[in-house]
Amino acid sequence: MKRVVTIITVIAMIFNLTACGSKAEQRFESSFLELFDTVTTIVGYAPDEKTFTEYSQMIYDRLEEYHQLYDIYHDYEGVNNIKTINDNAGIRPVKVDQKIIDLLEFSIQADQLTNDNVNIAFGSVLSIWHDYRTIGIDDPLSAELPPTEELQEMAKHTDISNVKIDKEASTVYLEDPLMKLDVGAIAKGYATEMTANYIIEQGFINGMISVGGNVRTIGTKFDDAGSKIPWSVGIQNPDQDSTQPTVHILQLEDMSLVTSGVYERYYTVDGKRYHHIIDPETLMPSELFQSVSIVCKDSGMADALSTSIFNMTLEEGKELIESLEDTEAFWILKDGTYEYSTGFETYIRK
Amino acid sequence: MGNKMLKRNDMIMMGIVLLIALISLGFFFLNKKEGSAVIITVDGEIYQQTELDQNNTIKIKQDNGDYNEVIIEDGYVWMTDADCPDKLCVKHNKIHYDHETIVCLPHKVVVEIVGGEENTVDIIAK
Repeated sequence: MKRVVTIITVIAMIFNLTACGSKAEQRFESSFLELFDTVTTIVGYAPDEKTFTEYSQMIYDRLEEYHQLYDIYHDYEGVNNIKTINDNAGIRPVKVDQKIIDLLEFSIQADQLTNDNVNIAFGSVLSIWHDYRTIGIDDPLSAELPPTEELQEMAKHTDISNVKIDKEASTVYLEDPLMKLDVGAIAKGYATEMTANYIIEQGFINGMISVGGNVRTIGTKFDDAGSKIPWSVGIQNPDQDSTQPTVHILQLEDMSLVTSGVYERYYTVDGKRYHHIIDPETLMPSELFQSVSIVCKDSGMADALSTSIFNMTLEEGKELIESLEDTEAFWILKDGTYEYSTGFETYIRK
Repeated sequence: MGNKMLKRNDMIMMGIVLLIALISLGFFFLNKKEGSAVIITVDGEIYQQTELDQNNTIKIKQDNGDYNEVIIEDGYVWMTDADCPDKLCVKHNKIHYDHETIVCLPHKVVVEIVGGEENTVDIIAK
């Protein structure tokens, strides 16, 4: 049942960690395509390939658990997941794993913090967009926009206070039968953070986990001499025709970087692109930015903020970011202009 | 005198041989250093491995009909065609540096560069 993680590459960089005796550590990398509908990459240091493979397998197994629990599209045998909760909206409370309750509580907090701009109860609206986008991608000639009336009708069923969590009984119940949860803006980042914390406890203390570009760095990396230096994490250039893959390279240690951009998921109707980040007020894709990047410690918060800041004006977004400790943001506006929160530039590699 | 000439010719000859040897050695090491590979995997299995410095067009045809086309040109690699729905792999930037990848998720195709010019980033957030 369990899948062995394949190690694609082994970088032959052996050195002595002078700081902690003379333990030889090597840098390894592994990746897999099975989880969260994206590419997961693990980079890190271990004494040998076997040890690294064990860490990778532990990360895979833990992420797979989150992947199944947080899935809104698929059923898994013996698992009550978010889809099960949605399927039972207005019918009955569903008994769920504590990991689901933790995610929902975290998401509700994030939504309150961001002035209702990352609402997980928005699933009924998002699923309309999802269906139209899927049809539009599969058959571009028949691509259409969702009818406004349909979006407005479903927007009436997005009140997060109708998500009833019973912690004693470990159940979740959606009181509104037409309501659906969609945790797509937050689950990947949250799962990455939880998995990072877990693997650190297991002794993996110099590494990096990227789940589809949600990057969580763990400790530092090492230069050729074995000295600790921060990880170099690039920010995707929204212009994919450019030979320059990144617009900035950040130096991060124990920090997360998440970017939300219009180039990730979109479809085209009458020559115009419609991406997947939907503004809860207009019910249409937010049009202000090409991408928003967030740096902060917690990868789940970085994920939630990148989506919610995307849905705010630059001024609103800046105000929110400046009010949060150890949290920075970088906007690429529609016209290509760069905007930064006050402390962001300290992370940029010169 | 003739003997002397011979000696001089010998010297020239030796010089040329040495030069050729040095040049070959140089090429050998240069190639070895730049001998970076393009590795294409399908669902984790190696489909084809080739050289980054050899211009090439690779068609990846899977038994289920999935199709991708990769071009290697002047040290850069990119996906020119695919019959996957989202075409994200085709839209991906050209890759060139060590450990850069292009992934076609629906087809489980990964194109990766191993070796070559050092990558200045460990990963890209997107």
